[in-house]
Amino acid sequence: MATFAPPRPGPMTPGARPPAAARREAWQRRLPLTPALLFMIFVTQIPFVFTVIFSFQSWNLVRPGSQHWVGLGNYANVFTDSAFRGALFTEIEMTVLAVAISMVLGIGLAVLLDRKFPGRGIVRTLLIAPFLVMPTVAGLLWKTTMLDPVYGIVNYLLRLVGVAPVDFVSRFPMASIVTVLVWQWTPFMMLIVLAGLQSQSGEVLEAARVDGAGPWTTFRAITVPHLRPYIELGGLLGAIYLVNTFDVIFMTTQGGPGTATTNLPYYLYQRAFLGFDVGQASALGVVTVIGTIAVASVALRMLFTVFSTTEGRA
Amino acid sequence: MTTAAPASPADTTTPRTAVRGPLRHLLRTASWTAGAWLAGLVFFFPVLWMVLTAFKQESDAYTTTPHIVFSPTLSQFKAVFDSGIGPYLANSALATVLSTILVLALGIPAAYALSIRSVRKWRDALFFFISTKMLPVVAAIIPIYLAVRDLGALDNVGTLIVLYTAMNLPIAVWMLRSFFLEVPREVLEAARVDGVTLRQEITRIMLPIVAPGIAATALICVIFSWNEFFFALNLTSVRAATMPVFLVGFMTSEGLYWAKLAAAATLACLPVLLAGWIAQKQLVRGLSMGAVK
Amino acid sequence: MAEVRYEQASRIYPGTPPVMAVDRLDLAIADGEFLVLVGPSGSGKTTALRMLAGLEEIDSGRISIGDRDVTHAPPKERDIAMVFQSYALYPHMTVAQNMGFALNLRGVSKETIAEKVTEAARLLDLDKYLDRKPKALSGGQRQRVAMGRAIVREPSVFLMDEPLSNLDAKLRVETRANIAALQARLGTTTVYVTHDQVEAMTMGHRVAVLKDGVLQQCDTPRTLYERPANAFVAGFIGSPAMNLHTVPVSENGAQLGELTLPLPRATTANLTEVTLGIRPETLRLVGPEEAGFKLAVELVEELGADAYLHGRAHLGDSDQRFVLRVDGRTPPTIGQTVNAGLRDTGEIHLFHPGTGERLD
Repeated sequence: MATFAPPRPGPMTPGARPPAAARREAWQRRLPLTPALLFMIFVTQIPFVFTVIFSFQSWNLVRPGSQHWVGLGNYANVFTDSAFRGALFTEIEMTVLAVAISMVLGIGLAVLLDRKFPGRGIVRTLLIAPFLVMPTVAGLLWKTTMLDPVYGIVNYLLRLVGVAPVDFVSRFPMASIVTVLVWQWTPFMMLIVLAGLQSQSGEVLEAARVDGAGPWTTFRAITVPHLRPYIELGGLLGAIYLVNTFDVIFMTTQGGPGTATTNLPYYLYQRAFLGFDVGQASALGVVTVIGTIAVASVALRMLFTVFSTTEGRA
Repeated sequence: MTTAAPASPADTTTPRTAVRGPLRHLLRTASWTAGAWLAGLVFFFPVLWMVLTAFKQESDAYTTTPHIVFSPTLSQFKAVFDSGIGPYLANSALATVLSTILVLALGIPAAYALSIRSVRKWRDALFFFISTKMLPVVAAIIPIYLAVRDLGALDNVGTLIVLYTAMNLPIAVWMLRSFFLEVPREVLEAARVDGVTLRQEITRIMLPIVAPGIAATALICVIFSWNEFFFALNLTSVRAATMPVFLVGFMTSEGLYWAKLAAAATLACLPVLLAGWIAQKQLVRGLSMGAVK
Repeated sequence: MAEVRYEQASRIYPGTPPVMAVDRLDLAIADGEFLVLVGPSGSGKTTALRMLAGLEEIDSGRISIGDRDVTHAPPKERDIAMVFQSYALYPHMTVAQNMGFALNLRGVSKETIAEKVTEAARLLDLDKYLDRKPKALSGGQRQRVAMGRAIVREPSVFLMDEPLSNLDAKLRVETRANIAALQARLGTTTVYVTHDQVEAMTMGHRVAVLKDGVLQQCDTPRTLYERPANAFVAGFIGSPAMNLHTVPVSENGAQLGELTLPLPRATTANLTEVTLGIRPETLRLVGPEEAGFKLAVELVEELGADAYLHGRAHLGDSDQRFVLRVDGRTPPTIGQTVNAGLRDTGEIHLFHPGTGERLD
């Protein structure tokens, strides 16, 4: 392209805007971002830098003066630490199970609620309640009133059909915790999938019907592909929250029996706040973060795709 | 829902469905309704049971056959209040409300800036915000703990407020941004032609239009702050402890008195449950950080 | 009230390569004039309007309103009012607040605002809706609120960006007349953007035709129709469109099938080909004995009094399509072959086959 003469401010240009003013305006619009950015950097990034520094030290809080550099020692311990590996597997198992099951149930409930029926609003209201319940309470509630071997409702129901009572929390700790998590997160999945179902254009569904597709074919060929980004988003966000599961474990099994339900957050908590081993816990934290970054960068790319498809203007 | 129009030609050409249609339709609706209600009740049952138990005597709570009929009592709630729940409720409320206000104060300007295309690299900034949400909290808890300890800010509600703000800010920025993006560009241009200054554009056009979105964002922040446990457990002990911490302490000090526990739990859950129910329409949007409308 | 002047005004959209959205536009709009900017999508007409509004930067050249250079002035300093395609009403304000907002910003007293809003509402038949929010209005009512918002301002220039495109056909014709009448009554200089050439021809005192950011011609509707400056304008103005075909030039004139059209020597000197522009009404059906060209009928659009005949003629070594207006009572049928001739050779437009410029 040819170059063009820059704007010539004539002699009678009261409104003429020198470039400095334009720059000022750009700053005026950019400035609002800075407090939030600085705050986040200050509260989340700086501590992490310290985590990295501590991870090269041996430092036990209960032994003052024990702080000294140990190089990669802590990391060597992390990778030879079978408890860490155990916690990692527990973490993966717990997250995958909770996300997958709550997603399947959530899709089912969303399909149920996508149709008009008497009291739909009430059912929806009832269904989202578990998600709003404080996780601490959820753990408590399930451990006691629901799953207690003697007085729990579930065992009462089992007795009705002639099954001997089971101490779920100690015999099936993982299943118990996953049950609580699924109970809490199914409503979340349902809400997201339901939003997807309701964003479907009625005309497309009618077109499919005119083309001769039955309800099942329509669901498989039209609805499921349409829901895909919503399912991905729900699964992704659910996973982001669920990898940090701590409250429910703390309230029900305390990571046990043994280490059966010790996930990474809980393991780290044990090392740092029960063992006061700052160096070791920091190294664990750093390794966890590196692992998360690897997973999260894939997840983030997905997230951006979902956002750009649901966003009108960007 | 869908319009009835396309059905009419079918009725005339296939009388079979016209005759059997209404009955089948009714049956289908009935079974569908029953199924949905059943699912709703199953999911709601633990919550319902908690509330019921809260109104029981301990003798009604500890039974091998659940007591559905019982004479309700408020004594458990009274006991909970007598055991000093007040300061915990106050701490929770303080941490929740102040952190939410702080999130909005920081988040609204940031989201506004990010909703304008002229901010170059907005993607980087957004990416940064959201990535902080993906990093496990535990990765930073040790230095935070040590820093807070060294600053003498352990067991201080202010500490919780700062941390809850950091916890919720990324979600809030994403969410608010999606609301800002929904304001039609032409409306802003119309305002500019009408003669607004940048300040008026924000206060008289933008903010009133996105007000419902701001409310939704606040709600999400309230839910997450109120329910937060990890920081509260590790950084507070007595003075600044919040409701979840109270529950834990209550459980260990009072032993497993279910009815009393249920009363305490009901109180702990109630504010968020009510808030979430009232704003359920905004909930999806908030939970998906604005991605799903 | 004021005149508006574009002087070599350009807008370049950055990108690779950068796009000249508006290319050195020169246009003078007289005080009180109703000027229509028309063109296909991507022609830069909306960009040109937004440059005048101050919503689009002017990369070179200048724009003045009255005797003020507003090239770099923000919108609020330009004394303009704009009606947007989407109406852009403030969703959180009532109709009255929407209309009074600009005055409110300027610190006009409440009584004066109320008075002016009421007056404008009466003019636009909106009195009953003053307390409603835009959500509770029909499309036509919203459109009128957008108009009202502009009127209340009493600006020196009205800018309208396809204000009718979201209305249904009937309402559009009605509103078209109303806007034209309103403008005549208020006498405010108006720049109106549309892609609809019928709107342009019926509303504008003058019409400026744009293509690819370049002004093609700016003149009265009649002149545009009778003396289009180039083949693009000729094809764009008029419905159905003018028949434009490039044909060989012989000793005696242009050769259209067996029809020889005498050409003024001076205009076609050195050309071996020429682009003929023939309006559908210039063509007619002729008997087999008269001079004409054969046309295979492909489609007949009956409109009552008239009918439009779409046909294909074999000219030289290729098939070319023609449209002609025929008597609506006895139209030929599809598949027939008819003989087409001219009503008057004087009504033929000649364009340069390469540049498309008018020859004469």
